[in-house]
Amino acid sequence: MSAPPDDMPKTRSWRDIPQEIAPRRMSNVGRRRLTMGAVRTIATAVALGAIGWGGFEIWRTLKNDPQRLAAMSDSRPLEEIKLTTDGVLDEAWLKRTMDLAPSAGLMELDLYALRSKLTASGQVRQAVLVREFPTTLKVILEERSPVVRLKARLGGPDARTFLVAHDGTVYDGEGYETSLVRSMPWLGGVRLIREEDGFQPLPGMEQLTDLIATARNGVPRRYATWRVVSMERMSSDGQIVVQTTEVPEIIFGVREDFYSQIARMDLILAETKRRAAAPVRSIDLSVGAAQVPVALHQPSADSPDISFPR
Amino acid sequence: MRSKSRFIGAVEIGTAKVAVLIGEMVKDGTVNLIGFGECQSHGVIKGLVTDFKSASDATHSALLIAEQNAGVKIDEVYLAQSGGHLEGFYNQAAASVNAADNTVSQLDVDTVCRLAKAKALPDGRTVVHHIRRPFQLDGKMVGSNPEHLHGQRLEVGYWTVHGSESVIANSIHVIRGFNVLVGDMILSSLASGTMMTTPQDRQHGALVIDIGAGTTDYVLYRDGGPCVTGSIPVGGSHLTNDLTLGLRVTEGQAEKLKIRHGRALVMTRDKSEKVWLNGDFAIGDRQFSRRAIELITEARVMELFEVVKKKLGAELVPELCAAGVFLTGGTSKLPAMADAATKVFEIPAVLGEMPPGMDDKLNRPQHATVLGLLHFGLQNRASGGGAGRPRSRGLLQKLFTSS
Repeated sequence: MSAPPDDMPKTRSWRDIPQEIAPRRMSNVGRRRLTMGAVRTIATAVALGAIGWGGFEIWRTLKNDPQRLAAMSDSRPLEEIKLTTDGVLDEAWLKRTMDLAPSAGLMELDLYALRSKLTASGQVRQAVLVREFPTTLKVILEERSPVVRLKARLGGPDARTFLVAHDGTVYDGEGYETSLVRSMPWLGGVRLIREEDGFQPLPGMEQLTDLIATARNGVPRRYATWRVVSMERMSSDGQIVVQTTEVPEIIFGVREDFYSQIARMDLILAETKRRAAAPVRSIDLSVGAAQVPVALHQPSADSPDISFPR
Repeated sequence: MRSKSRFIGAVEIGTAKVAVLIGEMVKDGTVNLIGFGECQSHGVIKGLVTDFKSASDATHSALLIAEQNAGVKIDEVYLAQSGGHLEGFYNQAAASVNAADNTVSQLDVDTVCRLAKAKALPDGRTVVHHIRRPFQLDGKMVGSNPEHLHGQRLEVGYWTVHGSESVIANSIHVIRGFNVLVGDMILSSLASGTMMTTPQDRQHGALVIDIGAGTTDYVLYRDGGPCVTGSIPVGGSHLTNDLTLGLRVTEGQAEKLKIRHGRALVMTRDKSEKVWLNGDFAIGDRQFSRRAIELITEARVMELFEVVKKKLGAELVPELCAAGVFLTGGTSKLPAMADAATKVFEIPAVLGEMPPGMDDKLNRPQHATVLGLLHFGLQNRASGGGAGRPRSRGLLQKLFTSS
C-alpha cells in the first residue's frame, strides 16, 4: 500500500467546532474584554496610520522641497528675551554679550554656544537657556559675588581693575554699584596666570573670604578701614597681611580661627586708643593666642615695643 | 520577562466546582503557576452544561478570580472534558512498507496513522482525542517512531475518544463567553493521570481513577502510554443522593454524614452504634446507625469500581498493571477507598500523590485535573501530538481575543 485512498472518511474533531460567539451571548466580562480589544485595535490602527501619514509627509517634503522643513522650523524670529538672575546683570549686558542677529529665529539659536558666551565672562557661574515657543528665549543666570578687587597691568600702560570671587575666579565685574566696589579691599601679593580668555582661579581665596566675612560681620567699623589684603606670605608662612587706614600691618595666621584673631585685634586697637599710646605700627596675630606682638610708632628711641598678654 | 510570556488558563468545569489555574509559559518551555481561582459550580450536572447562563457565570467568576490572583490576562484556555457522553473505540490499521529495501519512511508512518484514525463517526459525534498505541513492525513492538527501521508490515492502533458535538460546543462557548479562545481540549482522566503517575508507572502499567462529584474518569496506562480511557456519570454526589434516600435526610445533611462517617468499606460491626446528625443536641438533631451509613456508601463505591472494571473488560490484566491503581479526585478522600479498589480490581491501590514541591493550596486530589491540564497540554504541544496543534490565528483575531 503506497498511499491512503482518497475516499477515507474524514473524522470530525472538536477543533472543527466554530468558536465564534455573538457578543450578546457573552457575559459582561467577556463583552468588556471584547470592547477593550476593539479599542486597542482601533488605537493601534490610528497610531500606525498617524505614523504612516507623518512619514509620508516628511518623505514628500524632503523629495519636493527639502528647504521647507528648515524654513518651517526657523520661520518665527526671536521677539523677547526674559532674564532671571540672582545678581546685578541686566538685559542690556545680556544682549550685548550674546550678540544676536536682529532677525535670528528662535530655532536657529545655538543654545550651547550662547551659554558658553555667557559663562566666559566669569561673573556668570551658571546659565540656563530655554526656548519658550513661539518667540521667547528665557535666560536664567546664577552670578558670582565679589570679595576683593585687584588692579593689574596687562601689557598696556594703564592698569585694569578686576574683581575676585570667593572661589578665586577673577573677572571684570559689571553692573555693580560704585560704592560696593569701593568698599572692597584691594588684593595684593598674587600672580595672575592667563588661561584662554581669562585667568586661572586664585588659590587660597576660600580662607581669605573666610577672614573677610568674619571681619565684616564681627567688626564692621574696623573692616571699613581695611585697604589692602595681601596673600604674598600665605603659601610660605601661612599669613594674610592686612593694611588698614589705622594700622600699616595686621598679620593674621591662617592656621587659627579668624574669629578669635579678630577679637584680639579689636581689643588691642581699643586698648591702645584708651591708653592714648602711640599709633600702632604692626599687630602680629599669627604667633598664637599666648602673646600678640604689637609695634607702635616710636617718637623716641627709648620707648620699646609693647606686648599685650592674653 | 512578562511581555515574552504566554498565559495559559487550565479550566475544569466540574459538577461541584469550577477550578482555574493560570500558568505562565515562558520561552524556554517552562511553566510557572501564577494564579488559581475556584468557585462553586452551577448549571452543570454529571459533567454536562445544562444551564448555560449559570455555568457561564460560575466559570467566568473562577476565571476572574484566577486573573486577579495572577495579575494577568489569560491568552488561551486548556479545557478539561469529562462526562458520560464521551466514548472510546480502538481502531487498528496496517500498511506494507513502500520502499524496495523495506526501510520504513515517514510516508509509511503517515499513511498507517491516517488509516488508523480514519473511521467515520455517527452524526453529532466529534473526536476529542486520538491516542496512539505503540507501532508494530512485523508483529514486534517498536518505539515511538519506526522511521528508518527495516520491516515489511507496519501496524498501529488508535484509541479514539469522541463525544457529543453539542455538549462539547456548549463547554467551548462557556469559555468563549469570556472572550478567550480554547487552545486545547484534554480528557480529565489524561490530565489527572499525568499528575498521579510517573513515566515508570505508566511503563509498568497503571490504572488512574479520578472520582469527582458528578463523574468518574479513568485511564489505563500500558507500555508507557494511555491505552484505554473512559468516563462514567457516577461520582461523589451519587453517594450523597443514596444517603438522602436511604436515611431520609436533606441533601445537605447527607453530604455532612458522608464526609463525617462515610466509608468505602464497612468497618462497624456493632449494629447499635449510632452517630448524631449534627452533634449539637439541638432540636431536630437525629441519630443514625453508623453501619447503615457505611453500608450505603460501600455499596455505591463498590458498584462504581465494578462499573469501571466492567468497562475496562479484558483490557485490565493485573499482570500488565504492575504499578497498581491510583485514586484521585475529591471523592477519593473517603476513608478505605484504596482498600475497596484493591478488593474490586485485585490489584494494589493507593491514593495518588502530587509531585513533591507542590504548593499546599494545590496539593489536594481535587486539583489533580487542573494541574494535569497544564502539564499534559504543554507536554503534548511540545511533542506536537494530541488532537492537533492549535491553529494559527490572524492578527485581528489575536488583537480581539486577548484584551
